[in-house]
Amino acid sequence: MVMTMSSDLSTVDHGEEPGGSEAPRLQVSNLSKSFRNVDALSEVSLSIETGEVVGLVGENGAGKSTLLKLLTGIHQPDSGQIALDGKPIRIDGPRDAAHQGIAIVKQEQDVVPNLTGYENLFLDRIPDFTRFGIVRSARMRSRAEEVIEQLGIELDLSAPVSSYSFTERQMLEVSKAFSESIDTDHPIILLDEPTAGLDEGGRELLFDRINELRDRASFVFVSHELDEVLEISDRIYVLKDGVLVDEVGAADADESMLQRSMVGRETADEYYRTSRQRSLSSGADVALRAEGLSIGDRLDDISFSVREGEIFGVVGVEGCGKSALGRALCGVDPPHGGVVDVHGEEIRPESLSRMVESGLGYVPKDRKAEGLLLYQPLTMNISLPSIGTERTSHDLGGVGSLFPLIDSGKEHEMADASVEQLDIRTPGLDTLVYQLSGGNQQKVVLAKWLQRESDVLVMDNVTRGIDVAAKEEVYRVCRELAEDGVSMVFIGDELPEVIGMSNRIGVMKKGSLVDIVDAPTGDKPTEEELIEMMI
Amino acid sequence: MADGTMLNRSRNRIAELRAERTLQDWIIDLGPFVLLFLLVLGFSIASPNFFTVSNLVDNVLRNSTILLLVSLAGTFPILQQSIDLSIESMVGITGVVAAILISDYQLGVLALPIAVLAGTFFGGLNGIVFAKLKIPSFLVTLGSLSILSGSALLMTGGTSIPYRNPTVRWVSTGELVFSIPNIVIWGLLFYLLMTFIAFKTPFGRYCYALGENEEVADLSGVQVDRYKIGAFVVSGLLCGVAGALLAARTSSAAPGMGSGLLLQSIAAIVMGGTALTGGVGGPHRTLLGVLVIGVLANGMNLIGIQSFVQEIVLGFVVIVAVAMSMDRRKIDIVK
Repeated sequence: MVMTMSSDLSTVDHGEEPGGSEAPRLQVSNLSKSFRNVDALSEVSLSIETGEVVGLVGENGAGKSTLLKLLTGIHQPDSGQIALDGKPIRIDGPRDAAHQGIAIVKQEQDVVPNLTGYENLFLDRIPDFTRFGIVRSARMRSRAEEVIEQLGIELDLSAPVSSYSFTERQMLEVSKAFSESIDTDHPIILLDEPTAGLDEGGRELLFDRINELRDRASFVFVSHELDEVLEISDRIYVLKDGVLVDEVGAADADESMLQRSMVGRETADEYYRTSRQRSLSSGADVALRAEGLSIGDRLDDISFSVREGEIFGVVGVEGCGKSALGRALCGVDPPHGGVVDVHGEEIRPESLSRMVESGLGYVPKDRKAEGLLLYQPLTMNISLPSIGTERTSHDLGGVGSLFPLIDSGKEHEMADASVEQLDIRTPGLDTLVYQLSGGNQQKVVLAKWLQRESDVLVMDNVTRGIDVAAKEEVYRVCRELAEDGVSMVFIGDELPEVIGMSNRIGVMKKGSLVDIVDAPTGDKPTEEELIEMMI
Repeated sequence: MADGTMLNRSRNRIAELRAERTLQDWIIDLGPFVLLFLLVLGFSIASPNFFTVSNLVDNVLRNSTILLLVSLAGTFPILQQSIDLSIESMVGITGVVAAILISDYQLGVLALPIAVLAGTFFGGLNGIVFAKLKIPSFLVTLGSLSILSGSALLMTGGTSIPYRNPTVRWVSTGELVFSIPNIVIWGLLFYLLMTFIAFKTPFGRYCYALGENEEVADLSGVQVDRYKIGAFVVSGLLCGVAGALLAARTSSAAPGMGSGLLLQSIAAIVMGGTALTGGVGGPHRTLLGVLVIGVLANGMNLIGIQSFVQEIVLGFVVIVAVAMSMDRRKIDIVK
């Protein structure tokens, strides 16, 4: 079969239908993979023809990245097979994948900034460019120049990558993917969110390159930006909860149709339980008020207030300062100016411990790196912010607060209560939290603050990286907390989620809070309306 | 809602989680017990003098006490994933301070707590430089290792400081309880105290949290710097106790009297189950490691293995113990 592949690649035109008898360039059949108790991917079959650009969309946790990891050999499938030109293959890792013709351009740029462009391009093959153990830089450089010239990409390869713009780095990544798979006839380049962080010009450049290179490669384009997927792809696959739910020609699809099949549920209202959203009278007490929060040019004079039991959404494009706002509110990155008022007590947020004293809790963006002691027991995680307070200490006849000694009985009761309250699925209270599923882990992070009796929660992307069922759980928990009077600053990257959950939404742009939009049940703003304000 | 299949599934899942204890977990938990048992058994067979009360109490326990104190000292920084390399010279300088106060200033027993305070102070300096200037602890304490040992040499002119004071000597060598040397009682007291601190106080708990993930502790509202300094204060304090007791026991002090303790203590700590990757183990386990080292040294002496060979054996023990206990899930790259 391999022999039938055209040796003169330029003759394979984009759009030309390969013969019916010919096997597709890449064929994935019944691929399944599960991690612990979650089926990340089940029975997924898809194919990619020579010269095709295939879009791959789905919500977070739908299985896109699992599929990419299987295709690049980072994980091995539990069952199913991957075939190139009809020949089943086994992929032993990203390097092996590249040699067989599947290369990836990753979301996080994998470049070594202190090395030059050409060194980065051939990073794993520097030994191939040596004579008697000495690196022949000139040869490597000229070879690198050839590679990018062939691709029609312009870069100053002698400059260190640290001097490259974001777009240039991305182009280098694309070149690298090509150069790694250059020995194969017709590589398949996997693009994982390649436009994230690119400006308009960079995006156009990337799309130009993709269109130009169609006759030499196939592409899998993974993105959250549905308009981009529609623009560049020939065909689009939709994943949901690890299952391939749809396959459409790009010409026959539109954004709302893709959105519907990605979310795949009756109505968004039901998902976010908007019917349970409290309607807050203007008379409700203010729980949190920020006034004039500023940090250099990252945050500019931000003021707003959140009422008791209110969910206050914060949206904005990447880099608009919404995460910085969360960190400033909680004193994690103390603001240079401004005050925060919690339940009528005015404080300068100088440290998180100070803010916690007043009733704030911070749910950070990265659950695993910032929220949890992964290899410690559930109990210890939940009690962590409460250690040293009377909630976890022996009474000692009233002097317990002076000499706080940990009462493990109280600690266990605390954990037990949280498991009950938030329905945390765990084998036991002493289970190490890394063993829990993502959704249950996130509940542990929430439990930490609830047990500290924090009633104002600042949450940065609280549903990030957890599967759909777990998200619904988190939404339910948030609704319940709001009913109990807990206030939330709900910072989110995913607009539908923030719109669905919030009572009001603050829109940020370049470090400023540009508008606050009401989002009552039944009269929610649309994504488009918010995006208009964001950009 | 909870139908049969769901219940079954969750049962299976629980069984699966229980089964996830790795071989490494078992080795860390039970290894030191098994090793200690095998060593005691082996030496008992090899030498008739080994398994006797006088050898076990007078030699093994008494000689292990200084190592125990120093190992307890090192446990807290290591629990936090830092390390205190200055303990040898910390023992040296506090011992020298005690001896000078006794011989030149006639302070008698009062010199001992002052030496402990000195150790606490130096430990605090280590901690403040480490936490506030954000310099890796191994570098800070490597620096202070040199500073303190140089200072001790300067104070003594490089010689040993002898003194005569029976009361001071009694603090270490007397036998207040049965015929157990007082120094062993001190060791036991501090062992219990440190174990209590590790489990019952916020400081102890935060040591585990910091060792596991400092960022998480920080974002949970823990004032991390305070507790990072605390670990070095405790370390300095215990080294002070070790220095003072050592000076009392020998009725003299020399700047180099702590030498050799660093490697032995790291071996003991790690073998006990406190991994260099932090967050697991604790002072209660360090005792096991200390006993293994103590029995090993004593037994090798009894069966006539020369001390140079013992040093080689110790080196291997450290490397093997570290290799077996490191939690590689926590660190991708070791440099």
